[in-house]
Amino acid sequence: MSGSVYRGKSGQWAFMAHRITGFLVLMFLLLHIVDVSLVTASPRLYNEVHDLYGNVFLRLFEVGLLGALLFHSFNGLRIVVYDFFPGAIRREKEMLALVLGLTAVLTIVGGYVILYPFFFGTTTH
Amino acid sequence: MDVNLEPRPPKTSVTDQPRLQPRTRVNTEVWSWYFMRISGLILLFLALLHFFMTHILHDVVETDAAFVAGRWQNPLWRTYDWVLLALGLLHGVNGLRFIIDDYVRRPGTRAATKAFVYSLVGVLFLYGTITIVIYK
Repeated sequence: MSGSVYRGKSGQWAFMAHRITGFLVLMFLLLHIVDVSLVTASPRLYNEVHDLYGNVFLRLFEVGLLGALLFHSFNGLRIVVYDFFPGAIRREKEMLALVLGLTAVLTIVGGYVILYPFFFGTTTH
Repeated sequence: MDVNLEPRPPKTSVTDQPRLQPRTRVNTEVWSWYFMRISGLILLFLALLHFFMTHILHDVVETDAAFVAGRWQNPLWRTYDWVLLALGLLHGVNGLRFIIDDYVRRPGTRAATKAFVYSLVGVLFLYGTITIVIYK
């Protein structure tokens, strides 16, 4: 951000990332309300639109959504932990590393399951 | 003689006035602060479980109209989805309000941006609610 007082300390990056992921998840929620609501108007139309989610590009988008959702969840939890245990701020670097680690591991595991049908033509279950 | 019969506001000293306004504002923001934390904690479970069920436990392709029909036979799943819809939108729109306050500086543009966002989210909330309630 040009004109920002803060310059790239970890907390500032986490703050920006929290905003961006929150914004993206909200945008998806707005879209998701519209696509699910098609089921009332016409189940066939719902199915046609819904089939798009199986496309590899939208599968990648879903992995991105999972990553955004996980980061926003764990980072939000980190903020709540500071509110109740202010002493935890002294472990800020470690807490953020934990947030990023959990996000990365679970996004990779979830991404493997989500993208599996594209590579192997069958689901993992 | 000029007699004013209009009811008058209760007398307040001049020093009371500037205090009252900011205090109600602060209370709203404190309430908003608690709301973001409580709704966030609930959403963490609701949203992640929802994603897990529709993308991991089932492949996304399997969640077709028949899947929705089966799921919404149970009113508990309708309730779950509606709570996720309502809390998600409220948490999201309140977060977006912070973002607008930070980046849209001109009062007129800011008010217009908020009016647009609140209207859009309000309409989609009604649309989603109607879908969940009337679906047969």
